[in-house]
Order: sequence, then C-alpha cells, then structure tokens
Amino acid sequence: MASIARKNLFEDIPRFLVAQAGIMFAVSLVTVQLGILRGFSRSTAIVIDYARADLWVASKEMVAFELTSPLPADYVNKSMAITGVDRAEILLVRAGRWRGADGKLSPARIFGFNPDGELFAGWTLSDGSLQAIKQPYTAIIASGVEKSLGLDENNRTGSIAGLPVTIVGTAEDVQSNASSPFLFSSLETANTYGDAEINSSINCVRQPDGNLNCTNSFKNRPLGQKLGDLASPQPLSLSDPISYILIRAKPGQNLPQLKQRLLAALPETQILTQAEIAAITRNYWEVRTGVGFILGLGATVGFIVGMVVVGQILYASVADHIREFGTLKAMGASNGVIYRIIIEQSLWMAILGYVPSIGICLTLGQWTQMTRGIMILIEPSTAAAVLLLTVVMCMGSAIFAVQKVTRVDPAIVFKA
Amino acid sequence: MTAIDFKRFFAKTTPIAPSPVQAMAKETAIVASHINLVYRNGGEEFNALQDVSLTVKSGEVHLLMGPSGSGKTTLLSILAGLLTPTRGQVNLLGEEITQLSRSRLAAFRLKHLGFVFQGFNLFPALTACENVEVAFHLKGVPQARKHAIELLDQVGLADRCNHRPQDLSGGQKQRVAIARALAGNPQIIMADEPTAALDSQNGHAIITLLRNLAKTSGRTVLIVTHDPRILDVADRVTDLEDGKVVTKAKLG
Ligand SMILES: Nc1ncnc2c1ncn2[C@@H]1O[C@H](COP(=O)(O)OP(=O)(O)OP(=O)(O)O)[C@@H](O)[C@H]1O
Ligand SMILES: [Mg+2]
Repeated sequence: MASIARKNLFEDIPRFLVAQAGIMFAVSLVTVQLGILRGFSRSTAIVIDYARADLWVASKEMVAFELTSPLPADYVNKSMAITGVDRAEILLVRAGRWRGADGKLSPARIFGFNPDGELFAGWTLSDGSLQAIKQPYTAIIASGVEKSLGLDENNRTGSIAGLPVTIVGTAEDVQSNASSPFLFSSLETANTYGDAEINSSINCVRQPDGNLNCTNSFKNRPLGQKLGDLASPQPLSLSDPISYILIRAKPGQNLPQLKQRLLAALPETQILTQAEIAAITRNYWEVRTGVGFILGLGATVGFIVGMVVVGQILYASVADHIREFGTLKAMGASNGVIYRIIIEQSLWMAILGYVPSIGICLTLGQWTQMTRGIMILIEPSTAAAVLLLTVVMCMGSAIFAVQKVTRVDPAIVFKA
Repeated sequence: MTAIDFKRFFAKTTPIAPSPVQAMAKETAIVASHINLVYRNGGEEFNALQDVSLTVKSGEVHLLMGPSGSGKTTLLSILAGLLTPTRGQVNLLGEEITQLSRSRLAAFRLKHLGFVFQGFNLFPALTACENVEVAFHLKGVPQARKHAIELLDQVGLADRCNHRPQDLSGGQKQRVAIARALAGNPQIIMADEPTAALDSQNGHAIITLLRNLAKTSGRTVLIVTHDPRILDVADRVTDLEDGKVVTKAKLG
C-alpha cells in the first residue's frame, strides 16, 4: 500500500524534524550512557587485556588490579624454577603525585615493567618507542592524559616526588577511566618514583627519662635538580615489593595444573588467568563500587526518558491523525491494518532516529577519547543493543498510542 | 489421504433456496427497527434516538433530514455499525449487523459500505489517486492504481491523480472522497452532510453525481442532510426531530 505511515511522517517536514530531534536525543542519551558504562568497564581492565600472559601471580589479598598487596620480588625467580613456566616478568603498580611543568599536582599511576619483556606491554605506541624508557627517569604516558598532566607539544616533562620525568612516548587506548593518569616506566625508574614518596625515616633517641624522642626526616629531593646530578635509579633488589608476576607457560602446558604448582611454590598468592584478573577488576568497578551502579542507573534512566519522549512524540502523532485512523476504521479497516500503520511509523521513526544518533555518538566518543581519554565504547554489540532498545522504545510507545485508536468515536469521523 | 467428496461437502453447506431474509435483501438494503440510543455522560442520560424504524429500498436515494441535534449522525453511525444501539436491530443487505462482532462488522463495512463525510476525511499526506487506492488496498483488490484512475475519471478528476487534497477545491475533494467510497463497488453508500462544506453549486453537483452513480449501478445511497435544495434528487426522505421519525415522505 502507498505507505500511509511514511507519508504521514514526511507530510510536515519541520514537524518531522522536531520529532526526530526528540528521538535522536533519547537514542543518543541511551547510547552515550551505555557507551560510557561499557567504555568505563572495558577501560578498567584494558591494561590487563593488552598483556599476553597465560597466568598472573597476585597477592592473595588482591581486591582489584590497582588495589593489591605486594609480593616479594624473589617470587619471580621461584616462578622461573617451576616446570612448565617459560617466562616470568615482574609488574610494578605504584602510585605517585605528578607535578606538571605548570606546577599543578595530579595523582599518577606508575607501572614498572621490563621494556625487553614480552608479556606486559601489548599496546601500540602512537609516538616514541618502548626502548626509550630504558633511559632513567623517563616514562610513556597513556594517550588522553596529557591535559590532566599539563603536558603539550612543547612541554614533555614533569616530576614525581621531586624526581624528574621525561615523557618519551604515548600508548594508545590504554588508560583506565577509573584511575589516575597512567605512566609506564622501566622497573628501576618506577620503583624509584614509587619509593621516593615514602622515603622517610624516623630517628629515635631514648631520653634519660625513658621516653622516646623521635624525629621524622623526609628525603624528598629538591625540585629542579638536573638529570646529570641525579643518581641512576637502583636496580630492583630481591627484597623490593612487587605487584604482579606475569607468567607465560611453555607450549602445551595444562594451565590448571601449572596453576596448582605455582600456588604450592608461592605462598600467600593467587594464580589467575588473564581473563580472570580482568573479570575480577571489572566486576570490582561495576559491582563493588558505586561507579558501575551509577552509570548503569544513568543508562536505565536514559532508556526511561527516551521511552517517554518517543511515547509522547508517537502519541501526539497518532492523536494528530486520529481522524484518518477513524476514517480507516469506518471504511472497514481491521485493527491489524491500523496497528501496522502505527508500528510502521514507529519503526521509521526508530530507524531514522537511530542512524544519525549513532553517528553523533561515535563522533562524540572520538572526541572524548581524544581530548580526555574517556571512552564512550560503542561496539557493534552496543550499537545492536541500542538499535534493539530503540525499536523496543518505539514499538512500546506505539502499542501505547494504539490504545487511542482501538475505540474511535464515530463523532470524530463525522465531525466537520 | 482419501479424496474429498466435493459433492457431499457442498450439498451440506449450500442452501437449496435463499432464506426469507436474503430474499428480502433483494429489495431492501437497510432495515432499522425500533432503534433507541441513550448517550450516557457521567450521571446524565440523553435519549438521542427513540424508537426509530426505517426502511431503505435497494437502489434508492434516501435522504435523512432534520434540524441540528435531531440525531441524524447518531442514526447514521448506528446504521453503519459504528455505534451500537441501546435497543433495536439493524439489518443491512439481509445481515443482522447488530449481532456481529466488531471484527465481522469491520469486514462487512469493508465489503458492502462506502462512506462520504462532511469534512471529506481525505488523507492529507496522500495524493488523490493514493487516497482512492487505499480503499482498494484495504479490500485486497489488485491493480489499485489503475482502478483509482478509472474512478477519478468517473467523478471527473482524471487529471488530478497526483494532486494532494490541499491543492484541490472543496468540491474536488468531495469528488475524490466519492471515488474512494465507490472503490470495490459497495452496495450501499452512506453520506453525512456531503454538501455542507460546499457552496450550493458544488453541493448540487455532488448530489447529482451521487444520484447518477446510484441510478446507473443500482447502488443504495443514504444521505444525511439539512440542505433542502437537494430534496429534488431524493427518492424518499425520512425526517427526524428530537430523535424521533416524524414523516416518511415519498417524493415524485
Ligand atoms: N457522544 C455524545 N454524548 C452525549 N450526547 C451526544 C453525543 N453525541 C451526540 N450527542 C447528542 O445527541 C444529539 C444528536 O446528535 P447528532 O450528532 O446525531 O445530531 P445531528 O442531527 O447529526 O446534528 P447536526 O445536524 O448538527 O449534525 C445531540 O443533542 C447531541 O448533543
Ligand atoms: Mg450530524
């Protein structure tokens, strides 16, 4: 049939555009909320996703990736000695306070790893090279954190705990939205940055009266010290605390069995596959913190608001054409015919609202990723879910609007 | 599977002789008996129709007249099965439509009734042709466009196929509406004040058109009007006043 639905829709273009703007708003709202939730969730464990370890040795007390207790460094040697282990690499996860060239302070997350290693740094660099962090007091940043760290084209330096930091590269798409800006350094450099903050000592002298007289002295290095004057970072010693050990199994190993062997050799640890530690971390952020809940709530509210907006638009449109629907019914059209028109119209509205909205959201996502490192993740599955939601939203409101035409008053039809 | 015995099958379901009602349908198109309609609004009741009986013969042009508020539209709605009477029966073409379910009623209207409205009730977003096509589509008639053009030709609007209602005059709009009402060749055309929105010249042309269409094809036409100028085209007139039939004048 000459599509009444389509023609009704396009009959009044300005009106149509206003209605579509409402739907696009609703769809974008849901998409952005869902995208932020998905992007946030993905980002919280993306560093883990990039790694290529078969197993991770973590403290038994680990809560989430960035919230863990230290392991003794000599566990790496013990790991290497276990049958079936091909490689074992140390990963340090430290915190620091970054002072930008502009003097502004920002928290920073410092990862220390061996740049010659094979298991941790799977991300791609948009500039610089992994080898460059072999230079003392250098780091690679995650893309998107430049603004937070006060970095720009001309200024690639800052300091942590009085120690200088020179940025020698940028890693693409690795920043966690739940965390401080990421810095990746060599083991030695990261260890030094991480230690410097807590490098204080207490000297106590027993007084004649038996009381202790203590003085607390900090050894933070003064700002503005030149690189050349600084001692090189000390290599990691066996007594230094480390955060994780990344394990690569020899080919053909039975991972559960290897897990058991590692567990037996390394007390107070848990051995996790890469997928497990990523899942624990995501679960922590999604379920155990309020963040996931709030973002999920945002997506739900977006959906409800969208439903209401689309419902109103569709209802108004049906109300506008009520006389035509009444006429169709008088002519003998079955309810099915009329429902089909309303549903077709709602589907058109859904599709025509959906397509540009996804376009807008993808652009918005690129922008937030580029400028703030915040990801609005619109994967094909998210896009498909939003399409489904949009259709449900439109169909749902169509069913609501259909109520209006099931009982058409003959008076409406015969009115002049 | 055994072959179906078609002879026996049909012998059972095909009546040997038409029933009395069907025989009656040959000469009467509409029989309404003792129709009452009470509008209830909150606690208030209003007797819009009281014991209205009416017979419209097949092929006649029947006018339903009366002052404003006398119940003409109400009666037409009941005769068309759009409104269920509080009491009374309506028989259209031998079918007791007051007994039919909503969906059967809709199917009945689709097959046997055509409507013309005072306000034209065309779809503003559709062209003249498309407006007529809709009726063919609803009835499941193929080649709707071709048939639509034929009907528009019959009402003198063959050249307006692609015009939208907003680009047509009132008289032209009503012609398109008549073409739409004729789609699928229904036996009864019901029109509520089809000339009220038109000037007298156009109004008369519309009525003449309706009459000619009735006379050339044997259709029954029921027109609600309070336009006395069109009395001359009617075969019979029923006058309503305060919800009651006052006279049934036979003209000519
Ligand atoms: N839905 C309704 N509820 C209550 N009263 C109604 C309703 N519809 C119509 N009426 C009343 O029923 C009476 C008959 O109305 P109807 O529309 O049938 O008159 P009419 O003869 O068609 O008038 P007109 O020539 O002005 O179109 C009027 O008094 C009207 O107010
Ligand atoms: Mg009326």
